[in-house]
Amino acid sequence: MGRTGYSAWSHSELHSSDNMKPFSKCVFVVDDDQSMRDALKNLLRSVGLEVRLFASAQEFLDSFRTGMDGMADVPSCLILDVRLPGLGGLDLQHELTAANIDIPIIFITAHGDIPMSVRAMKAGAVEFLTKPFRDQDLLDAIHVSLAQDHNRRQKNARLAEFRRRLETLTVRERELLPLVVSGRTNKEIAAEIGTSEVTVKVHRGNLMRKMQAVSFADLLRIAADLDIPYTKV
Amino acid sequence: MRTLQHSFFRYGIAVFFVGIALGLSLLTHQSMPESFLFFFLAAVMLAGWFGRTGAGLFAVMVSMIAVGYYFIPPYRAFAVELDELPYLFSFLSSALVTSWLGSARRNAEEKQRAHLDELFEQSPEAIMLIDRQDRVLRINKEFTRLFGFRFNEAEHLRSVDLITPAMLKAEAAESRKRLSEGQIVNLETTRMRKDGSCLDVSEVSFPVVADGKCIAYYVIFRDITESKRALEELHNAQAELAHLSRVTTMGELASSIAHEINQPIGAIATNGSAAVRWLGQTPPNVEGAEEALDCIVRDANRAADVIGRIRTLLKKNTTPMLNLDINEMIREVLVLTSYETSRRDTTVFIELAEGLPPVPGDRVQLQQVILNLIMNGLEAMSAIMDRPRQLRIQSNRAADCICIQVRDSGQGWDTRHFPFVFDPFFTTKRDGIGMGLTISRSIIESHGGRLWAEQDTPHGAILNFTLPTT
Repeated sequence: MGRTGYSAWSHSELHSSDNMKPFSKCVFVVDDDQSMRDALKNLLRSVGLEVRLFASAQEFLDSFRTGMDGMADVPSCLILDVRLPGLGGLDLQHELTAANIDIPIIFITAHGDIPMSVRAMKAGAVEFLTKPFRDQDLLDAIHVSLAQDHNRRQKNARLAEFRRRLETLTVRERELLPLVVSGRTNKEIAAEIGTSEVTVKVHRGNLMRKMQAVSFADLLRIAADLDIPYTKV
Repeated sequence: MRTLQHSFFRYGIAVFFVGIALGLSLLTHQSMPESFLFFFLAAVMLAGWFGRTGAGLFAVMVSMIAVGYYFIPPYRAFAVELDELPYLFSFLSSALVTSWLGSARRNAEEKQRAHLDELFEQSPEAIMLIDRQDRVLRINKEFTRLFGFRFNEAEHLRSVDLITPAMLKAEAAESRKRLSEGQIVNLETTRMRKDGSCLDVSEVSFPVVADGKCIAYYVIFRDITESKRALEELHNAQAELAHLSRVTTMGELASSIAHEINQPIGAIATNGSAAVRWLGQTPPNVEGAEEALDCIVRDANRAADVIGRIRTLLKKNTTPMLNLDINEMIREVLVLTSYETSRRDTTVFIELAEGLPPVPGDRVQLQQVILNLIMNGLEAMSAIMDRPRQLRIQSNRAADCICIQVRDSGQGWDTRHFPFVFDPFFTTKRDGIGMGLTISRSIIESHGGRLWAEQDTPHGAILNFTLPTT
């Protein structure tokens, strides 16, 4: 969905997602200017995006920390004004990083200077747009951000699943895993851990099953995701 | 010829009074032998009074002859008995003293009157004496010079008809009425010359009172055309300077203003494309498009408002005096400076009293003052790093005025500099011209208010101004 750009988000899709899965993705807007907030709401809703508006960084933080009606759990991104009363946009970015909240940020500003944008981009912002910006630029950035967030979430979900599977292994099987993914033969492993080759074969079969690996290559990928270290020959 | 007649009259008068004295003395001589003394002395005094020194002495001489002839033995003879000489001599000395007294008194009075006449005539102010019916009794030289009327052209004419322009007749009538009630009337008005041209005058009128009764009025005119023009020129120069300072301030505010206009314009563009997208859907989402279009209208008005406000502040001419809502004006200025305050990491506290009465004033000028004070406060805090930058703006109501206070948390003034903060060209800013507070004060004072500075403790500056509500 949405893989070819914003145009893939059609009204009917918004409709169906409204009905079936209330918030399939969400864009947060933090801007102290009422006109700008309303305009962004209109634009984003016209392309079928769910929007949440905040007048200050603090308001956003408070709302985010209280779970934001489950909206923190769907792919989302943050459109953030640099110049805000109180906690500024760059400060909020810093706060989020410090609190380990990983959300793609698109900065918008009326007078962006280069040092400011460099700082924002270095800290991981997706885009830095100067008002008035072309709506297409913003929508493209949103698309990239949402895709990025979607990927991150998928990756996190996959990793969580792999970890769950890893938990199901016995001590012996877990001991075996680094040796297996390091490319040792059953014979070499048997010699190393002081058991019979047949036993190793049985363990390896259990390992593949419990880790739900369809092939050795699949197991290798899972092990890589789980940062299982290679052991030297 | 005139002098001759005059002398003849004077000596005639002496003879006339002595004649009467003689007649009365002869009539009463039988019953009161010494009465002639009083009659003759009286005659001498009167002759001295009316005919001055010469006539007085002449009367003494004639009296001596008459007294010697009729009342000192031998009677009816131009001879005097030796015994009677001391008597005659004492009469002579009394007569001489009496004559001198009469003429001296008269001379002194004449002199005084001449002085008064001189004062009236030579006064550098144009003076007009009018009777209670407003008819001209007398005018002086300066009046003739100023208005072009000679006395014979003005005599007995009503001053209202003479020098009052048609449109000011009611005002003149009102001033005469107050005059007739015994008041001194001070006016700054316009009067008309003989040739019909007008001049600005300050007119002071006061009643001339004799024996507790008002008998006439003096009206004194001073030509103030020049000073009025000078004042006007000064006023224009001040307005020019104020305008220049406004333009400068607006220049300093350029980025803030750009932001203030950029914001709604950006929103309009975004709303525009939102509307296009809503309408591009099948079926078109009219409701969504309408919402976006409503926002466009609102934002366009907002941008127009900002531009309008800037244009007003950049206008050269001042606006008319209107009843103004001071809080609304403060908020309008804060819109222009909002970006500037956030750029400078300054928190603005706005504490405006509710229900303030309107103040009569010039919108542009008063906004300029508010703008100046806010910008001063912001700049005063630009070097502050170790404490919050806070600007506090308050409006309050006092007995017969409104007080506005702008307070910053900056450095305040050096004690050595404090007495000079309102002096022209005094500035603590690196690139300031030092006219902001000077202009602000003159604006507030021209509105009948006060503007003053205080040092805040432990740091910061407080600027207050008042505006009368009536």
